[in-house]
Amino acid sequence: MKKFLEITLGILTAIGGFVDIGDIVANAESGARFHMSLAWVVIVGVVGIIVYAEMSGRVAALSGRAVFDLVRERLGPRVALTNLLASYFINFLTLTAEIAGVSLALQLASSVNYLLWIPLVAFLVWFVIWRVKFETMERIFGILGLVLIVFVVVVWRLGDWHTLSATALHPSIPKGEGIPTYFFFAIALFGAAMTPYEVFFFSSGAVEEHWTRTDLMVNRANVYIGFALGGILSLALMASADLVLSPGGISVSHLSQVTLPAALTIGKLGVAVTIVGFFAATFGAALETALSAGYTVSQFFGWQWGTFVKRVEAPRFHAVVILSVIMAAMVGLTTIDPIKVTEYSIVLSAAALPLTYFPILVIANDPDYVGEKTNSKFLNVIAFSYLVLLVIVALATIPLMIATKGGS
Amino acid sequence: MVGMRAAIAALALLLSACVAPARSFSAYEGKAVKTAEDVTSAVETARLAVRVAIRDRTFAPTLSVILGEAEKDAGAAQGTFDSVQPPDDRSLELRSKLDELMQPAVSALADLRIAVRSGRLDELQETAEPLVKIGAALSAFSESHS
Repeated sequence: MKKFLEITLGILTAIGGFVDIGDIVANAESGARFHMSLAWVVIVGVVGIIVYAEMSGRVAALSGRAVFDLVRERLGPRVALTNLLASYFINFLTLTAEIAGVSLALQLASSVNYLLWIPLVAFLVWFVIWRVKFETMERIFGILGLVLIVFVVVVWRLGDWHTLSATALHPSIPKGEGIPTYFFFAIALFGAAMTPYEVFFFSSGAVEEHWTRTDLMVNRANVYIGFALGGILSLALMASADLVLSPGGISVSHLSQVTLPAALTIGKLGVAVTIVGFFAATFGAALETALSAGYTVSQFFGWQWGTFVKRVEAPRFHAVVILSVIMAAMVGLTTIDPIKVTEYSIVLSAAALPLTYFPILVIANDPDYVGEKTNSKFLNVIAFSYLVLLVIVALATIPLMIATKGGS
Repeated sequence: MVGMRAAIAALALLLSACVAPARSFSAYEGKAVKTAEDVTSAVETARLAVRVAIRDRTFAPTLSVILGEAEKDAGAAQGTFDSVQPPDDRSLELRSKLDELMQPAVSALADLRIAVRSGRLDELQETAEPLVKIGAALSAFSESHS
């Protein structure tokens, strides 16, 4: 059990990255519209985030400092500021969507309009960050988010492996869908898997937990198990939508529609577990993004940050967190569609990916920060290949977004 | 650079949210097919939700949310399509044809939402019956104009 609890940071990070409000809907929509033809993108994304999250965790364990903290020092204030502006903007959009996402999950359980839940949810997000210890928070929401495994059960019970494997192993574009739309969705899924705040949160979390050289194995276990689990949940959501929603020509645009496969195959228990999972995953992602807002801004300006120090010692960090939460709640209350916000935020994050991952690759190869534990040649080949892919994705994102009118 | 790109993207998003005019019959027909597909999706979502509700496999609040959103989606799709100016007489005919299919869909979805929110769950099956024909007619429309 103790060993399991050691990997909850990776699980929480991955759940936030792979099954937050936008990802839940984007994965289900991909399954409903493209069957399993985009499953390969999730796998490519999982490998990519594993490669880079392992580096960021290793840097944090060996240097005792989070990645964003080192970006400014290693690459200068100009690069770091560009990185900060891009990542804060995307992070803020995601935080807005997650607060609304938690409210949508509560709406599913109560039928009370989600807008009425937003102020309460925003308060709870702040309260948990303010009062609950980082480790406790990470364990509660990491483990609770795992109930989304209900979608694996759904797929297992439907058991139509032939249909799923046919499109997963031989991807093709279904009739009525265009090539640009297919690649737009591919970018959205890839962007979701490699969302920048995942590495910032993961490495800052490692510092919060005081990882040292002796925790390198814990780092690997977190990355390999946590992110792989995130990928499996992602694929299960896609598969359940493929099997249940696609045959009726249902296009997914609401969280509520994603409960239907669980209702059909498991019943009320399945729906209840699904709603709990939605709540935990979106609440966990809201905590991650709210904390990441504080982490990135504080680390850029060199302020004391984190929940591992007394609150009075990190006032500016907590001020950034609370202001971000308040502003996100206010934007959420404008009735902006939270699903669209987060879908666009993951696509926009794809455009900013090289800015996030290039500095990590540089620092993970610098003996001044990681001593003799620099990347192996093999790891550098893989990481560099991903960097090339990230640049291609970043260049293609905006034109595809315009050409497909946001994938519609 | 990325900030600039994000701003351009945001502008593109705003532009893409507007309804582009249709300058030819084929462009208008494309919009009609997309609209029919969107309304079909709402209708089929409601049918599936009713199917699970009749077998007591979901909760009333969840069902109420699903049906409310389906009604809203169908109404929004119809409203967006109707706001596009038909470029010629053929398009005008197509508009009437599709409206004849969409109006009963939106109305049937509203009936379902009302039934659920007033607790008349035993009437769901009967209330949802028209959706079978409506869904089939919308699918046939999409097929014939694709």
